[in-house]
Amino acid sequence: MADTSTSFAIPAPDANRRSAGRFARWLASEPVFRLIPFLLVEGLFVLIIVVPFALTIWISLLKWRANRPFETARFAGLENYEAVLTNDQFWLALGRTFYFAGVAVALELIIGFVLAMLVSRCTRSRQLYTTIFLVPMMIVPIVVGYNFSMIYIDSGPLNQILAPFLERFGIDPRIRWLSHPIAAQWGIIIADVWQWTSLTFLIFLSGFAALPRQLVNAARVMGASPWQTFWRIELPLLKPAIVIAVIIRSMEALKLFDPVVLLTFGGPGTSTQTVAYFLWEQVWVFNKFSFGAAASILLLVIFSILIFFGVYMLISQRRTVEGGAP
Amino acid sequence: MRLLLSAVLCLSLWMASPAVAQDPVADRAVAAAKEYVKAKGLKDPKLTILLSSLYNNSFPDFAKKWEELTGVKFEIVPLGYTDIPAKIMQESVSKTGVYDIFNDFPYTMPDAAGAKVIIPLDDFAKKYQPDFTGIADGLKFQQYYDGKLLVMVNDGDHLLMVLRKDLMENAQANAEYKAKHGKDLGCPDTVAEWAQQAAFFQTKEGDTRWGIKFEKGLSGGLGYRSVNFSYRHFPLYMKGLLFDKDMKPRITTPDGIQAIKDFAAAVEYMPKDIQGWGTPQIYPYWGSGQAYSAVSFPSIFGFGESNPNSVVKGKQLACLIPGQMVDGKLVRRSPQAAGTGYMVSAYAKNPELAYLFIQWFTSPTIGDDAVAHPKGFWDPFRLSNLAHKGILDRFGADMVKTTIENTKYAASLLLIEGNYEYFKVLDNNLADVMNKNITAEEAAKRIEVSWNKITNEIGRDHQIQIWRKGVESGIYLDKF
Repeated sequence: MADTSTSFAIPAPDANRRSAGRFARWLASEPVFRLIPFLLVEGLFVLIIVVPFALTIWISLLKWRANRPFETARFAGLENYEAVLTNDQFWLALGRTFYFAGVAVALELIIGFVLAMLVSRCTRSRQLYTTIFLVPMMIVPIVVGYNFSMIYIDSGPLNQILAPFLERFGIDPRIRWLSHPIAAQWGIIIADVWQWTSLTFLIFLSGFAALPRQLVNAARVMGASPWQTFWRIELPLLKPAIVIAVIIRSMEALKLFDPVVLLTFGGPGTSTQTVAYFLWEQVWVFNKFSFGAAASILLLVIFSILIFFGVYMLISQRRTVEGGAP
Repeated sequence: MRLLLSAVLCLSLWMASPAVAQDPVADRAVAAAKEYVKAKGLKDPKLTILLSSLYNNSFPDFAKKWEELTGVKFEIVPLGYTDIPAKIMQESVSKTGVYDIFNDFPYTMPDAAGAKVIIPLDDFAKKYQPDFTGIADGLKFQQYYDGKLLVMVNDGDHLLMVLRKDLMENAQANAEYKAKHGKDLGCPDTVAEWAQQAAFFQTKEGDTRWGIKFEKGLSGGLGYRSVNFSYRHFPLYMKGLLFDKDMKPRITTPDGIQAIKDFAAAVEYMPKDIQGWGTPQIYPYWGSGQAYSAVSFPSIFGFGESNPNSVVKGKQLACLIPGQMVDGKLVRRSPQAAGTGYMVSAYAKNPELAYLFIQWFTSPTIGDDAVAHPKGFWDPFRLSNLAHKGILDRFGADMVKTTIENTKYAASLLLIEGNYEYFKVLDNNLADVMNKNITAEEAAKRIEVSWNKITNEIGRDHQIQIWRKGVESGIYLDKF
């Protein structure tokens, strides 16, 4: 018995080693080795993107609210899409989202640009200012929301700061930042601008740092005024940075959710309800999973068109800059 | 010596026995839990609860006591109460079995029941006999949905009115009020009378009235008007049910429209920022003495008495909820605006053990201890609370008496599927009226259209059936 077991035991590792060796050689062969990264990426793509996406599409075609078991869901075709497209609140939330994103991104671009320009011209304390201006972006959104909820109290610090100015114009200094529909919208915008101007500042600062100094110096030597240098030389060269900032911030701002939840819960009424909040509420508060899936597919289409347009702009700007370079 | 030892033994037996004699409901649950663990051969038995984070500082004391009594440990997963319903519904889809017990408001129950993520407790209740005596019908029957026991509640969150006793008893103020309205100041019987008192006490900052200088001003009334809160207070203004027996919304009736108008008009006497306020703002405002009256959760009274920064300690008066005159009769309705309950997950590993804990925790003695817990947010709600020293010490005898009296008028919010969506529609439109964006009539029309849409989407026949059962059980107090 002992001999038998030995005779079985010895050849096994050899066989394993041989097959492992064959497998390693096969993997190392040129055509297979070149395929490995591709297959891994494709595998992950299918797993992470395609499967959930297909599932979302499937759910969007069902009639199902989570307050009934999934087993009771029935195929409903495009019923949910029709429900979304005829839902006033969806369009209002979408409009509001574009409004918030438009105003917030415009302010972030202007303030970020000015700050970056000033800091790039600083000869002293540049690092200190850069660090300070980047701090808001590093703060967890929940902390930002909490802080602003304190700042916005009607007897809070913001109104106290504004009071001397507002009273001069006969305006009641107790602005209801979170309970008046218009003020609450501005409350959300201000919180977003405060946190995300840092990002545009960073993009523009790197843009200013990358400006070819010889072109700027040459313009000055040739007698260009500071305004002409900025308008004719620096600004055109900064266009790619501007486009990047617009695209990145717009993409983020269209998903505006955190400050809405943290500050107003979409209220008063629906005055601060963004499309991200609308979707969240439909799915996680009202349990309308199918409706939410259809709405998210439609949003994906709308946002994809915008992103495609943005990327096209970015590429064409790059081509212009690269084409114009000597 | 032998005599002394015998006496000590007798004394200790006597001291140990009251729990058995006093609360058989809790003892049955403990004994059955021990038996269950033994019979199933459970090693390191554990229950997991999805707990409202409000109870983070109080619930663990009871979990520890339960563990001492039964050996069953507790894992507590705290979460903000606004997020709990979504978490429960996620469990209905993912079916992880992570939670044994869900802790949330009774009005989370209909959707959870529809999704079959919670189980009926009737069989367990039949076997172990919980005790619901001393609980008013409006609170007791909110534990049932479609005739089945699905949630067990240990909290009264039916709205209560508090007044500033010191201002009400101010002789000058009283004389002025009487001269103006022909009546002494006191707990208002009707919502209209409350509005009258609120208007009377509304004072600008810096004004001096009745010998008192109001440095920060005085709001005549205080009540929740913010997002996710309006719907909880609206039934106070509505004369009767929200729907008729065929689920046709009553909001477009003259009563409904008037209710919207009255609800919105009350903001005039409230702090300017009230539409952005929840409990974290309202309680300190009341405690700072800047309001004459408030309609809130009963715990606002406890806050006023116990918060170190409160200036209204000893100056509060608890009142019954003001009502409405219906056909010449005073009808009070105190909406059960929150109230924490306990449900057993359909995917619990040991549902019977989970139920036994709930029976123990909501039993008269342990339940009363919970209400008395200084760091808890459970409010008085059953008759036995009146005899519990800890509760009387914490809330004051007068307040407990008034709250228990008020339970007679406690009415459930909407206990039908999709209630969060119905509520949200109401909330949004009330906000629009309060902000003068639309008229009450327009709001009523919009609410009616949206409510009908929700009813049809969920299934009108199903909704009618559940609605009628609820009304018949008495949870809304009003009948068809």
